[in-house]
Amino acid sequence: MKYIFLVLLVCMTSFIGYIFSKKYKIRANFFESLLYLCQKFDIEINFSRERLKNIFLNLDEKNKINLKGIDKNFISYINGETTLEKDNLFKGINFLKDDEKDLIFTFFKSLGRSDVDSQSKEIKNFQARFDGISNQVNSENKKYGKLFLKLGIIAGLLLVVIFI
Amino acid sequence: MLEKILPDEIYNVLENKVNFNSINEIRIREDKPIVLLIGCQRTFLSNYGTTSNLKDAIIASKIMIEDIIFRASECSIYSVNEQIKKGFLVTKGGIRIGIGGDLIEENGKIKTMTNFSSINIRIPHEIKNCSLSAFDYLVNENNVYNTLILSPPGAGKTTFLRDFICQLSERNYAYNVLVLDERGELDIGRKGCLGNFTDKISFAKKTIGFENGIRSLSPNIIVTDELGQEEDIDAVNYAINCGVTVFASIHCESIESLLKKPNFEKIIKNKLFERYVLLSARNGPGTLEGIYNENFSRVRI
Repeated sequence: MKYIFLVLLVCMTSFIGYIFSKKYKIRANFFESLLYLCQKFDIEINFSRERLKNIFLNLDEKNKINLKGIDKNFISYINGETTLEKDNLFKGINFLKDDEKDLIFTFFKSLGRSDVDSQSKEIKNFQARFDGISNQVNSENKKYGKLFLKLGIIAGLLLVVIFI
Repeated sequence: MLEKILPDEIYNVLENKVNFNSINEIRIREDKPIVLLIGCQRTFLSNYGTTSNLKDAIIASKIMIEDIIFRASECSIYSVNEQIKKGFLVTKGGIRIGIGGDLIEENGKIKTMTNFSSINIRIPHEIKNCSLSAFDYLVNENNVYNTLILSPPGAGKTTFLRDFICQLSERNYAYNVLVLDERGELDIGRKGCLGNFTDKISFAKKTIGFENGIRSLSPNIIVTDELGQEEDIDAVNYAINCGVTVFASIHCESIESLLKKPNFEKIIKNKLFERYVLLSARNGPGTLEGIYNENFSRVRI
């Protein structure tokens, strides 16, 4: 019975570590998909003048998952179901910092409001800024993501030693 | 579609207090009252329906105009910029929105339009069988006559063309019809509205549309709206010389004013069109004033 409890303890602390590390992974994936979205916008807008709604709808499933619903929230705005406000756009998203939210919100606000050349330049500009954040988030993920997982396991093992 | 474009306060009044089907045009100008064209009557829009009293009229704002244009482009201005440069945009359902504003030029070319100050929303109406009274005069046993529809703006040219295409299909005239929809107005998006034997090229200049269409889709009949430029006439000439029947329309109030149009000398001299259909809005849009042959003799009315 004691050993089962100790194994459960290690599992639990590891899980807590995993929860903390997952936040970094989610952030890294989010910005990776946001960069992909920028590339897709640039190509689709320049090549076929595709409308924003279709670009979002044609996004592959993996990137849709990574974007954590921001695409759906924006489609709701395009459909006229909601207004374009921060609270609406970031509904259900709690892993972004305020300054990141500000930047992403400005990006979404700029979409669809100008001609192809200006829109393309604007997207490239935002892409460069997202790229900077993405690099930073990726290194944080490598550094802290694994660290929290390891810390969780170590904390569990320490507790095991203490209990024994 | 209008419910997605217009602000709620305007759409709700139009839907609940005005007979929607009777509206032909909605004119929205910055800081001016919203004007409706119902039949041939102009009236202001108020919160309670229509009014002739300026005090009760809803006044449009610049933000309202910009928002309508943005919504009409499905939040993608870049996708309709080529249309905006020409002063209009057409929504999915064939609603044409004329736009007034400041044109931006760069290196002698129009880049875009900004500072939108007015819009004119033209609501298309499908009038079933409106071409029937003229149909038998435009079609013979083996062919459709090269036909030009003449009418002033808002008198039903496009509606007539649309219905004629539909009639051809419904009466099983199995001609391959090519619709050159330069402004996106002919196809209003309703399923089957252009018939079963119809191909479509949209938003292309007539010269390109005629050439590409004849080469790639081998139509028997080409239907197109609003001829005007000299190059349009050359394109019609090219098509007819290729053995394709042309069914077109033009802004024109009478046969006399057509004869005065300088670009049309070639058409009249060479008798390219075999039938001329004159429409007016005298008894409502689509009133048939007369059908003429290539010598401008009346064949009906």
